[in-house]
Amino acid sequence: MALASPSEPSQLQPVQVKDSVISAQHLTKKFGDETAVQDVSFDVPRASIFGFIGPSGSGKTTTVRLLTGVYTPTDGQVLVFDRSPAKFSQGERARLGYMPQLFVLYPNLTVWENLNFAASLYGMGLFRGKRLKKALTFVELYEHRSKLARNISGGMLRRLSLAATLVHDPQLLFLDEPTAGIDPVLRRKFWDHFRELKNQGRTIFITTQYVSEADNCDLVGVQNNGKLLLVDTPRGIRHHAYGGDMVDFRTTQPFDFQAEAMLRSLSFVRAKTVRTGSNSMRIIVDQASTATPELMGWAQQQNIQVQAVEEYMPSFEDVFVELVRREVSHG
Amino acid sequence: MGNFFRGIIRASSFFRKEIFEILRQPRLVATLVLGPFLILFIFGIGYRAQSRTLRTLFVVQPSSPIAAQDVQEYGKSTGSLLIYAGVTGNQNEALDQLQRGQVDLVIVEPGDATSTIKNNQQAVFTLYHHEIDPVQVSYINYLGWLYADVVNQQVLRSFAVQGQKDAVNLHTSLQEAHQNVSAMRQAMQSGDETLAQQKQQGLASNVDAVSQAVGVSLGLLDSLQQTKGTNGGNANPVKSTLTDLRQNTNQLSDSTGTKDERLVRLDKIDKDITDLDGKLAEFQSIDPSIIVSPFRNETKSIANVQPSISDFFAPAVLALLLQHLAVTFAALSIVRERDVGTMELFRVSPLSAAEALFGKYISYMVFGGVVAAILSILLVFALHVPMLGNWWNFTLVIAAVLFTSLGIGFAISIVSQTDSQAVQYSMIILLASVFFSGFIMSLDMLWEPVRVISWLLPTTYGTLLLRDIALRGIDPNWALLGGLIAIGLVLMLISWRLMRRLIASSQ
Repeated sequence: MALASPSEPSQLQPVQVKDSVISAQHLTKKFGDETAVQDVSFDVPRASIFGFIGPSGSGKTTTVRLLTGVYTPTDGQVLVFDRSPAKFSQGERARLGYMPQLFVLYPNLTVWENLNFAASLYGMGLFRGKRLKKALTFVELYEHRSKLARNISGGMLRRLSLAATLVHDPQLLFLDEPTAGIDPVLRRKFWDHFRELKNQGRTIFITTQYVSEADNCDLVGVQNNGKLLLVDTPRGIRHHAYGGDMVDFRTTQPFDFQAEAMLRSLSFVRAKTVRTGSNSMRIIVDQASTATPELMGWAQQQNIQVQAVEEYMPSFEDVFVELVRREVSHG
Repeated sequence: MGNFFRGIIRASSFFRKEIFEILRQPRLVATLVLGPFLILFIFGIGYRAQSRTLRTLFVVQPSSPIAAQDVQEYGKSTGSLLIYAGVTGNQNEALDQLQRGQVDLVIVEPGDATSTIKNNQQAVFTLYHHEIDPVQVSYINYLGWLYADVVNQQVLRSFAVQGQKDAVNLHTSLQEAHQNVSAMRQAMQSGDETLAQQKQQGLASNVDAVSQAVGVSLGLLDSLQQTKGTNGGNANPVKSTLTDLRQNTNQLSDSTGTKDERLVRLDKIDKDITDLDGKLAEFQSIDPSIIVSPFRNETKSIANVQPSISDFFAPAVLALLLQHLAVTFAALSIVRERDVGTMELFRVSPLSAAEALFGKYISYMVFGGVVAAILSILLVFALHVPMLGNWWNFTLVIAAVLFTSLGIGFAISIVSQTDSQAVQYSMIILLASVFFSGFIMSLDMLWEPVRVISWLLPTTYGTLLLRDIALRGIDPNWALLGGLIAIGLVLMLISWRLMRRLIASSQ
């Protein structure tokens, strides 16, 4: 199934998804005159982690609510398990796990009671104690199970919410910023677990403000101002952001202008090159894997002593900023 | 695991959640149980079933025929309702005292009562007060009526006393008439027509005197017998006897009759005189107070117990408390789910509106039932409120009141947008219940169309049914109980429809 970015259709290479669990087509959601989500289309393949990144207010939560059936789209269509979420049966809903952005359980109940409530909500049997314990142990809250929810920290509340989402072992998880307020060590553990769930065949739709977390995803959608800028693999996202792969080219001697001009004129080098030092340049190429030996060959021909040629992986913060900059420049 | 069983588990999640949340607020539970108990307890020991005593200043005009001494006596005759605060001739000064709160009531005696009465009009006592409470105003109106009645009775009593004094002279006239009859009979039998004529004239004179006097004395007795209906169908027996007596006496002078006919007539006259004398003796033997006020009342209840005022209010308090508890808890329940954000979670989860409502109904029914049980036990065993009826019926009514009240609460909760809105609606229901459920005044005192509101409130049904069971010891009125449950079912259906829309539909 083809993907399209409404902002830059001509520059995108669509990602083909054969077995999609979620299919959103031209989704638009308006609240009065305000458009929260505009013409968003994407597909989420089965057994994958789909990351939805974007700044605060970009429409991530609205999109999640559209996918879970909390909101009805103003325009467009969404299918989850090939069915509109608004028409889900109880059995189909039981296959979903949803972690809202905010803590929505009960402050006057203990950690254990809240989790027990969530488990009951999904009709889990009476002998669910082991599952509850496992979920709480995973989020490192088992020791705190007797504490009232109102007496634990914000990070612990997020962990409790995650445990409540995972406790009934859903096939499709919607996680709205699950790692917000979680320390880096535990965040790493969460992502390990998400990957494990993916390997078990679960599908995860996850939103995050930590754009660096996009690297953990199989596919990433970048959202800004209600528009989906791009959907691709993390590598593809980087490629799109800069118009190619980035390679750092370092020599033993300083680079002269003539050599730099020759380098720019090479067929696999994109126009944009950046000097990062007197004897180093960052070059954007079509493909880093093929460009590296060609660069080495060219340097040998030109009697340029090469110190190193290596692919440069820009951080996702930089990628995101670049994508947004390009979005703004394209109007 | 079947879907039905999963549904039960989902509903049970709310049962546990609601109960735990309530138990986390022990002060709330204690207030709910102990609050009404203490209020009833203090009300029971504090309530005094006595009428209010008013400090009363009397104004007697100089021209009034009523003496200051009589006024004091009249005041005392009302029992403990009035405290005699003095007599003054200055009405303005009396009203000043009333204004300053030194007295509670000023009674102005009619100045020219005699001439007013002679003009065929009632003389008026004017009562001045400073009350704004309609109940107190009614009480003062009643007091005014009572005071006028006391004065009227005193006047009538003096008439009766005078009548009894006059009856002594009447007795003398009747004795003389009797002697004249005997002398006339002897004269007729001996053929002394002249003497007989003389005695006949004396008899006629006696009968005239009796006729005049009897209006004041035996007339009262006649009226009494007339009121009691003990005169054998004759409307005025004394008057009738007197008429016969006068006719027979006058006909004695008629010379056309035979001697035997005149003697028979003389026997009738003698009998009427004896009859009148007997009635006179009867009249004299009756206490003047009885003559002017011959009747009094006694009330006897066929109920098994005569409950005290706090006993009487106990079932109403229980019904009102349970209604308020159920309405408030239910009203806050769903609106809080919306506030916390759990509604979003419910929409995504397999939870149905029926399961959520069922769980909440059960949890609040159980909680309300426990509160009702503790409160009922305290009322019956600590405050000794009578419990004459069947505990099962009592429980059934409690359950019906809770069920219907929860329906009201859930309907409120679903249409409310905020906590405070839900609380406001609950308070309006409470206020309506205080005024329209028969809690403070009988339903009979309400205009019939307004009673529709009464019959929409669970407290109305609860109060009537619980009083019947506990204080009369009878079975509940099944039609009323059925009506209450029917309202509850309708409300449950409405709540379910609204909740379904809230949970199932998207925004």
